[in-house]
Amino acid sequence: MNLKTLTVIGLACTLLISCEMDLDMNEPGNLVPKTVTEDPSLPSLSLNGTSLHAQTYGNPANAMVIFLHGGPGADYRNGLNVRQLADDGYYVVFYDQRGTGLSQRHDKNTYSIQLYLDDLTAVIEHYRTSTNQKVFLFGHSWGAMLAAAYINAYPDRIDGAIFAEAGGFNKQLLDEYGEASRKLNLFSEITNDVLYYDQFLTGRENEHEILDYKLAIASSFSYAEGNDEGIEGASPFWRNGAGVLQAFMDISENEGFYFTTNLNQYQTKVLFLYGENNKSYGLSFAQKEASFFPSSEIVQIADTGHEMIYFKWDSVHPAVLGYLNSLN
Amino acid sequence: MKKIKPLLFIAMFFCFCQQGMPQTVNWNALEDSKHIITAGIGWDFSVSFSLGYAYQLKTNTPILLTSNFSIPSGEKLLDDFKTKIGGQVVFWNRSHLKGSITLNGIYRRFENPLVQLKNFGSELKGVLGFYKPKWFVAAEVGFDKAIVSDFTHSDTFKGTIFTTVKDGWYKPSSGGNFMYGLQTGYSSKQSDLTLNIGMVMTQDFKTTPLVPYYLMFGYNLRLH
Repeated sequence: MNLKTLTVIGLACTLLISCEMDLDMNEPGNLVPKTVTEDPSLPSLSLNGTSLHAQTYGNPANAMVIFLHGGPGADYRNGLNVRQLADDGYYVVFYDQRGTGLSQRHDKNTYSIQLYLDDLTAVIEHYRTSTNQKVFLFGHSWGAMLAAAYINAYPDRIDGAIFAEAGGFNKQLLDEYGEASRKLNLFSEITNDVLYYDQFLTGRENEHEILDYKLAIASSFSYAEGNDEGIEGASPFWRNGAGVLQAFMDISENEGFYFTTNLNQYQTKVLFLYGENNKSYGLSFAQKEASFFPSSEIVQIADTGHEMIYFKWDSVHPAVLGYLNSLN
Repeated sequence: MKKIKPLLFIAMFFCFCQQGMPQTVNWNALEDSKHIITAGIGWDFSVSFSLGYAYQLKTNTPILLTSNFSIPSGEKLLDDFKTKIGGQVVFWNRSHLKGSITLNGIYRRFENPLVQLKNFGSELKGVLGFYKPKWFVAAEVGFDKAIVSDFTHSDTFKGTIFTTVKDGWYKPSSGGNFMYGLQTGYSSKQSDLTLNIGMVMTQDFKTTPLVPYYLMFGYNLRLH
């Protein structure tokens, strides 16, 4: 066998091997997990023109607690400690909001606050087993903002609410929280950890796999050493929703939002939680948000930050359970 | 001191290996310079520092063989970097008006607590400008295409995000960015001070990187 033949065989083998090794980044299940529309084995429900990843715990006849995860664009995985409330006599409902987690993806321009409220209405209707079944909302971060938006729109539908560090009930408060919690040091490693890959990892507007993946690998920014939100480390999530995050950022910038106009009509006592180590939130921010309601209680969760539900559930649980039991 | 030693090592490595690249040159000040050593600082998807080397071929049409190495700032020195090897050729050559094309092969590395990425890409850039021996100003348009990328995820990623994520080489392209802007500079006997400034947008012309700008201050030392 001469050198020319060997070279041809070598090149052919190299080509074959390299082709076999190539992975497609737009293929669900490679860089990001499949959603409910791609993996029918995932627990899901279809409503309001979408398919949501959802799970429930406890007796469906018990008072319902709906957990609303953060983001926009995060998922409920790091809130799963809340399922302990099922052992306390509550029917606990989790769902990944439209366009994020393992729920169905949609075009960016289809998302709106009202659509998210309609989804929540549909979730309540889907799981409610009787008309007198009580419904409580437990929101974390963006989920707490969404809970406020829902109560603001429908004050008579909800029997109580827990707000764990809502990022701001209106645009002004959101900006205030954002400025305090997302400071960038241009010369730090943390900054290039989330910016440098933009030069070779880009995605078109609705290329959900690559955009969600980019957001996932930026998540280390939130728990970098010395972060202002007092986040102890990485907490689990399935998959971010970059499209819905961008859509809501655009809505916030272009239209603003006010989830506060009717909150003073909500007479039921609400519970606010904040982490002792979150320098961007603290008692003063909790008081600002609580002041929109006629009746509220504020509880500090010691020795933790923004991800209190994951890292300090043992401290969060008694406060939440005491509040729920007082209304149930 | 801990960080200076590696920097010195890099500088020496590139001097000896004759790599580096002046992306921005004053074609009317080059004359018969053979070697061009460059240094730069600016914003290139992060605060970046670069070193480069270029060799001018003895041809009727000005041609430079170029290479460049850059790192972003940060506490970890070599977890992220970018290397370019390629060339620049003047395709339209009037006494003061010149057009040039730059073609580079790119290799870059990125690492954060969740993933290590390696990427091979290419860059094509066109420059059209007015050049005098002491100064120049030109418009530039470029496209940086990511061709193939290798993904290796950390235990943290696999433990907290996606256990069965697939590591390996990914195609098709993981993306691309267009850039457009201006370059200008002042030249003295053996030196050029240069400035590149412009905007970046992704290949779909709808989205931009988180920081959609670039800015680079450069220094060229021309040697015979």
